Amino acid sequence: MQPTDQLRAQLQQLSDGFRQRLKEQLPALRDQALVLAAEQKPDPQSLEPIRDQLHMLAGSAGTFGFAEVGVQARALEQLANRCLRNGFGETCRQELADGIASLGQLPLGAAPEAPIAGQMMADICENRCIQVLEANADLAMRMSQTLESFGYRVERHANAESLTASLRARQPDALVIDVSPAGPGYPMLDIIAELQSSWTHPMPLIAVSDRDDFDIQIAAVRAGAQGFFTRPVDLAALENRLERCFGSLQNEPFRILVVDDDTALATRFATVLSAAGMLVETVEQPQQLLEHIENFLPDVIVMDVHMPGYSGPELAQMIRLHDNWLRVPILYLSAETDVGRQMAALLKAGDDFITKPISDSALMTTVFSRAQRARLVSRALARDSLTGLLKHADIKEQVELEVERSQRTRLPVSVAMIDIDHFKQVNDRHGHGVGDNVIRALANLLRQRLRKIDRLGRYGGEEFVAVLPNCNTQDAKSILDEIRKAFQALQFSGSEGPFQCTFSAGVSACEAPEWQTEEVLERADAGLYQAKAQGRNRIVAPQQKQGML
Amino acid sequence: MSDLQRVLHIEDDPSIREIVRIALEIVGGLTVKSCASGPEGLVAAEAFAPQFILLDVMMPGMDGPQTLRHLREKPALDEVPIVFMTAKVQPPEIEEYQRMGAAHVITKPFDPMTLPEQVRTIWSQWHATH
Repeated sequence: MQPTDQLRAQLQQLSDGFRQRLKEQLPALRDQALVLAAEQKPDPQSLEPIRDQLHMLAGSAGTFGFAEVGVQARALEQLANRCLRNGFGETCRQELADGIASLGQLPLGAAPEAPIAGQMMADICENRCIQVLEANADLAMRMSQTLESFGYRVERHANAESLTASLRARQPDALVIDVSPAGPGYPMLDIIAELQSSWTHPMPLIAVSDRDDFDIQIAAVRAGAQGFFTRPVDLAALENRLERCFGSLQNEPFRILVVDDDTALATRFATVLSAAGMLVETVEQPQQLLEHIENFLPDVIVMDVHMPGYSGPELAQMIRLHDNWLRVPILYLSAETDVGRQMAALLKAGDDFITKPISDSALMTTVFSRAQRARLVSRALARDSLTGLLKHADIKEQVELEVERSQRTRLPVSVAMIDIDHFKQVNDRHGHGVGDNVIRALANLLRQRLRKIDRLGRYGGEEFVAVLPNCNTQDAKSILDEIRKAFQALQFSGSEGPFQCTFSAGVSACEAPEWQTEEVLERADAGLYQAKAQGRNRIVAPQQKQGML
Repeated sequence: MSDLQRVLHIEDDPSIREIVRIALEIVGGLTVKSCASGPEGLVAAEAFAPQFILLDVMMPGMDGPQTLRHLREKPALDEVPIVFMTAKVQPPEIEEYQRMGAAHVITKPFDPMTLPEQVRTIWSQWHATH
């Protein structure tokens, strides 16, 4: 939403008021700190009001557009806390007074910086912002192009000063930085380490260097590096690493289904688990259990052992009748402490007992660890290890599901069969490691460019299948064509220098007027064959057969 | 789930009260009742019938966690998510607040332009799980 003029005026007025307050508050705060620094035997309690004011500034200055004041106040608040912990010595009091004095020296110009965004806990942005500091202009440009083609927003910095200012104002989604001993990023590693500790979520850092000796690597790790690349930089591998950093940050919350007829208790558990960031759904009527599982797709089921009319083990056995739910751990919740009876229940079905009463943190930890494990196992079973995409059988199932859905909803669905051109030559010429990079890069590119609702699988060696619900042939073709152009522009590093790759794709659909549900995959495959025959590096949608419904 | 309209904001700093009110009312189109202290908020919570409560953690006298406990004693507020706003950003502290029963923790400094969106997201997440 764009701020209206009136709103802008009001915000400006508030920020002016805040500036006025800073002009009075900061000198007073400095005087208090100076008095404290000069005292022979100061009372530690007299530091607390100073620390509290710094805390208040750390929390509010950024909102009013004085980001730098906020960031420095936060650092000083931490210094004050260290000071209180470490005996309140003269040196640290002096350091604090100096710090507050320089806080008062910061320019509070008439035009404040833009307010900085608070770091939201569930912040998922579409265009991630990557800051790049790289001395080699050519590499910096190729890096920007590659990352932008993957849908990232890239800000390039020419020197350490400009990057530092930007980092202090706002935490980027990730940072790629040249840490060669002579490079611009090397002296910045300390600053970055310090900033990392002030942020709620650590920022993924990728280091690029012309040397890879121990000292540089350890300095990079201390600044929070999650990737280290030596020149010549393999940009596809770098992008893949970034993708992995983000993947681990934005995992979906665990889904927990609580089955309990005691509403109060179920609500209590739901509160505890959702406070820990899990998604919780409760079922009070066992008759609706399967329906809930089908719709909610839980990672873990927590179930009372005794419910009116049905026992937990009975319900668990019923869940286990369905192949799809074999992987979901079932935890019984019970006041039962008789080990013999617990064992008997576990032998029928179920994975573990949670004995009531249980503390909130024990409940949370038990459920969390089960969910984590279940998620890992599920993913390993369903996902291709190289690309993280669905495997052959699972993507085929998705095609069927989406075509069925399209028949019901009368919304079109498109299916694309994608194959990397002359892939065998890549493997032969550059080795399988490089070939794997190419496959991963295409997988990442597809994942980035397609929507969340689209399904993506690795169908075979260098062959991919994408399912695009609510998308007709024409749209699917143009989307894939954009991806084709982006892929073609990617530079891979091979044993004989940089090279490029292309892909061909066939597109088919179940759409108006025929709504042809048969052989959607086969038709896409036929399109792919035509694309290859016509010279590759193109998208082809074969004509639908006439007269079929 | 009905639409979110009424937000109660409890915060001792008058300039933060003002910017939150502007952000939520003008940018977000919500109705905000601002209170300067925990006791004032407890009184207002009865009559105003908020659907969402934003609560500062550090306040003189009755602080955020104490206010939260008193608010949670009111049965009329059972369905109302209570969200802390704090400049404490260490994960253990945030976890501690969530254990106390906070539906979420918004870290300061916050961006006034995106605050309404953040509040609405928390609101719908809360209702998806309650």
